[in-house]
Amino acid sequence: MRILAYLAKRLVFVIPQLLGIVLVSFLLVKSIPGDPAVLMLGPTATPSAIAALREQLGLDQPLYMQFLIYVRNLLHGDLGTSWQTTRPVLEDLLQRFPATLELVTFSLLLAILVGVTLGVYAARNPRGWVARVSDLYGLSAGALPDFWFALVLIFVFYTVLGWAPAPLGRIDMIVIPPIPVTGILTIDALLAGDPEAFWSACSHLALPVLTLGLLNAGPILKITQSTMETMLESDFSRYEVLCGVPQNLVVRHALRNALPSIVTIISVLYGFLIGGAVLVEIVFSWGGAGQYAVQGVLNSDIYPVLGFVLFSAIFSLIVYIAVDLVYFLLDPRISN
Amino acid sequence: MGAAEVISKTENVSGDAGKAPLIDIRNLRITFPSGGAEPKTVLKGINLSVQPGEIVGLVGESGAGKTTLARSILGVPPAPGRIAAGEVHFEGRQILSLSEAELRRLRGRRLSVVVPNPRAELNPLRKVGDQIASMAKIHLNVSRKEARRMALQMLRDVQIPDPERRMDAYPHELSGGMAQRVVIAMALICNPAFVISDDATSGLDVTVQAQILALLAKLAAEHGSAMLFITRDVGITAHFCDRIAVLFSGEIVEIAPREALFLEPAHPYTLMLLAAFSHSPKLRDSWSVPETARRRELAAGCQYADRCPIAQAVCRTHRPPFAEVSPGHFARCHFPVRHA
Repeated sequence: MRILAYLAKRLVFVIPQLLGIVLVSFLLVKSIPGDPAVLMLGPTATPSAIAALREQLGLDQPLYMQFLIYVRNLLHGDLGTSWQTTRPVLEDLLQRFPATLELVTFSLLLAILVGVTLGVYAARNPRGWVARVSDLYGLSAGALPDFWFALVLIFVFYTVLGWAPAPLGRIDMIVIPPIPVTGILTIDALLAGDPEAFWSACSHLALPVLTLGLLNAGPILKITQSTMETMLESDFSRYEVLCGVPQNLVVRHALRNALPSIVTIISVLYGFLIGGAVLVEIVFSWGGAGQYAVQGVLNSDIYPVLGFVLFSAIFSLIVYIAVDLVYFLLDPRISN
Repeated sequence: MGAAEVISKTENVSGDAGKAPLIDIRNLRITFPSGGAEPKTVLKGINLSVQPGEIVGLVGESGAGKTTLARSILGVPPAPGRIAAGEVHFEGRQILSLSEAELRRLRGRRLSVVVPNPRAELNPLRKVGDQIASMAKIHLNVSRKEARRMALQMLRDVQIPDPERRMDAYPHELSGGMAQRVVIAMALICNPAFVISDDATSGLDVTVQAQILALLAKLAAEHGSAMLFITRDVGITAHFCDRIAVLFSGEIVEIAPREALFLEPAHPYTLMLLAAFSHSPKLRDSWSVPETARRRELAAGCQYADRCPIAQAVCRTHRPPFAEVSPGHFARCHFPVRHA
């Protein structure tokens, strides 16, 4: 019951938080130099045509009016139209955001698997070879640029070995994509009972997931290792050893106590990767939301950018609320 | 090796079969790396034995090596300490030479420890009932349900009010005294033969302290456990210890049956400890020497010489023998105090 009260309290703050995010990002995006009317009409446009288009787009209005109009449209579910795709931003994002979400989620799962496993082993035996490999791994994972690592993987697994499909999108050209339900291809293929589409989607996921997963395992590994070391040296672990608790169980209890820190870094990475995966999206022609937003920034196409910011913000808020709930479940000291 | 074992066995038998100690600590030396070439010796060859059912007190000031001793007996000296030498014979085995897995099975089951400051030592995220029950589950191979039943019974035995509800409490929800009772329950649930109480009541109010100690002694007796009762408060030992050892700077400087220690203390350090409780300022002053700014570790000679009011030249040059001043009463002093 406490958890519900807490949740309600958190949700009350979501609306002003979102409004603040929209305001700040609106001002920031508007301050980027570049006139969409000029870009849309091209170099041969007459000044009067430009002025007419500016008026039509509402660009002649004062900034606060433009903002109010944007917010009013938002409340009606209208996120504006992208002049590049000439489609409503909401439609574009509903198609692209799941692509990014799928990529980032699978990458993060891989990162957790690698990072937590290595971190626990390294902490368990701080002088062993796993710990030494982990130190090196943590260092290099932080130092390698993701797009470069992606290109290396493409070279090895596509060009040389020919195991991976060409880095062109999320599914083979000749495979008919499943009917979009969630927009996440692997899930949609399973829902449609289409194994061919499922395997095609998986094989296209492999390299970008490997890229993001292996590189982002670095911070998870470091946090897991250091928190686990602290937990294993703490009084309660020492006491368990004195009580003859088997080492496996001591480690498991320590991991339980280390989880809040690990969950924190995972949630930070999750929110960050939605936009941070953009270079990898570009390398693999993923057609994700990050790529869409960057195109918008480069072409003064502000509604896709604002729409992306809004989507990411809502996503991050959901993740952070979920994390708070996890803390609640993990630590009885918080729930009281 | 075989011959040595035979000899030690015959010695045991020839000594007194009925008086074979439950635990026999022989020449235990613990060193800590000190940065220099020579590691620092924290326990300088401890010899101590405890008979079945006996309660032995071990008194010492902080830094004397009390906790190091408690943990080293269990084979896990505090990091980065190392067992440099010595043996611990327990129930017929030299347990320091056992494999880690065998030693682990002894810890908590046959040899258990009651720790100080239990609210930090208990796992903050696990219910205390589970923590007690898991002792039984790990060591006695009982079912989950049976382990819980035993844990609940232990909570009743340690006289925690409302034990059913406390089973599901987390450590932070308990008072210091209650947490201490939980730790006692964990130490005794497997009916260990030997319990080490490591300064177990140091963090508690004096009134609670007395209750807990009485409870601990009563339960140890009921469970047939012998006990090494480590404390810095010599006054506490007077209540229920059969014998008392005094630890100073990593050495046992005096050991005696309770009456002998309190009525005829032989070592000046013991006298100082007892005088500290005295009402007579004169007695206190005559046995305590203001501590010098820096404690010196004498390579040879008596470790207490610098603080000793009756030290002579020989005390600084020759290590005193551990001499028997009366039957069962030993003191490591060149000039043991004689009582008329």
